[in-house]
Amino acid sequence: GRYRSPMTPSEIAVVDLRVCDRCGLCLPLCPPEAIHLNLSDLVVDRSTCTGCRKCIAPCPVGALTMVAA
Amino acid sequence: MRDTDVLVIGAGPAGAVAAQEAKRAAPTLDVVLLERDGAVGTPVRCAEGVGDAGLREFANPVGAPWVARKIRRVIFLAPDDSEVKVAERDVGWILDRTRFDAFLAERASADGVEVLVGTEAAGMNRLADGRWEVRLRGALGDESVRVRMVIGADGVEAMVGRWAGLDTRVPARDMESCAQYVLRGIDIDPDAIYLQFGRAIAPGGYAWVFPRAPGIANVGLGIVALKADGRNAREYLDDWIARRYPGAEQTGYTVGGVITHTTITQTYTDGVLVAGDAAHMINPLSGGGIVNAMKAGRLAGRAAAAAVCAADTSARRLSAYHAEWMRLLGDDHLKYYRIKQALEELDDDFFNSLAHTVNAIPGDKRTLGRIFAHALVRHPQLIPVAARFFI
Repeated sequence: GRYRSPMTPSEIAVVDLRVCDRCGLCLPLCPPEAIHLNLSDLVVDRSTCTGCRKCIAPCPVGALTMVAA
Repeated sequence: MRDTDVLVIGAGPAGAVAAQEAKRAAPTLDVVLLERDGAVGTPVRCAEGVGDAGLREFANPVGAPWVARKIRRVIFLAPDDSEVKVAERDVGWILDRTRFDAFLAERASADGVEVLVGTEAAGMNRLADGRWEVRLRGALGDESVRVRMVIGADGVEAMVGRWAGLDTRVPARDMESCAQYVLRGIDIDPDAIYLQFGRAIAPGGYAWVFPRAPGIANVGLGIVALKADGRNAREYLDDWIARRYPGAEQTGYTVGGVITHTTITQTYTDGVLVAGDAAHMINPLSGGGIVNAMKAGRLAGRAAAAAVCAADTSARRLSAYHAEWMRLLGDDHLKYYRIKQALEELDDDFFNSLAHTVNAIPGDKRTLGRIFAHALVRHPQLIPVAARFFI
C-alpha cells in the first residue's frame, strides 16, 4: 500500500532463470514490490509489475528484460 | 505451531551476532537463527575486506582460520592508472566469508542459539496477542512459528522489513551493481588492496583488487546502472580485467548489490527490528558493511532480548534501537552520503590531477591529513566536497 501506481502496463519485466544468479539486488529496486525470491527462483508478480523498468539495467548479469504484457 | 522468543532471519554477520547477543543477554530465552541456504556463509556475495579495529571488537583475527590475508597498504589507481599509496600500517583483513560466517554462527550455537539451515521465511503476519506468526519453508516442508521478536537480517532483499510494513526500497541511483571474480596468476602487491575509480571503468562506483594470497585476489567492481553505457556490471568487469590482467585464470564468480544509501528511516516496528544490509546500514562512500552489520546486530540482539524480558515489544520501546544506531554510525553515514553526492560531480580529469598532486608528497610524509591539506590548496573544487561533511 505504499506505492501509488502511475496507471494494465503494455510491458512487464520477466526474469531469465538460466541467467539469474539469485542475488536479490532487484528486490528493493521495485517500487510496487513485485519481485520475490524464494529458495529456488526469482519471481516477478505479473499482476503487480507496472513496467517501470527500474529493475532492468541494474541487474549485474542482464537477467531481467521487458516483454509485452 | 511452535513458539519462540526471538527469531533472527538471516545468518550473516548481522544475524549471527544479533542471535548470540540476544541469548547472552537473556539465556533463558529461546533464540532461533534461520539461514535460507544449505550452509551458513554460502554463497559469498562480498569482496571480503574489513577494517582492523572494527573486526577486533568481535573477534581476534590473528591466526584465525577465517582470515585469508592481512592488509598493510591501500593503493588508489587514478583513471589514467597512476598509482597512489596512501597507507603503510595495519589497515585490515581479507576474510574468508564462508568460514567467518560459519564461525560466528557456531559461536552463537555454542551459547545456546538454535541454528536452522536450509530454511527460509516465506511470510509473516501479526497475531492478536501481539506476536508474529512467521511461515517457514524448508527441506522438511512448511511450518509456522509464533515469535515475540523478529530480527530481520536478511540482507539486501530486506523481505522481513517489507512484510513488517517498513519501507526498505532503494532508489536506483543508490544501488551498486557488483560483479567479482577470483583471479589467479596476477602480478600484485599481496599486502595491498587496490581501488580504481573512473567513469569508463566503473561509473558511479569503483573497481577493486583484494588479495587472498600471493597472485590470487578477489577482483571486482561496482557500477551505478543509471550512469552506465548499456553494459552490465559483469561486462564492465570483463573489459577491465582484459586490460589489466590479461591471461589471468578466472575461478570463483559472484554478483550482488550494494546499497550506498543511508539507513532506512525506520528500522523498527511492533515486535520487529531490522539490522545490517536489510536496513541499509552500509557506508555509502566505501560500500563496506560487515562491521556495521555486526555492530547493528549487537544492538538489535540486546534490544530484542530486553524487550521480551520486559514483556514490551512495542514500536515505542524499540525506537530506542534506531536512535542508538543513528548515534553510533547512522548519523555519520548521512555525512558520508552527502560527500558521495559531491564527489559524483567531479570528473576523471580531476582525479588524475589529484593523484599527481598526492604523488608529489614524499611517501614517508603521505598522511591522510597532509594529503587532504595539499589537495584543498591545489584543487579548490574539493572545498565544496569537504563542506558537505559539515552541512
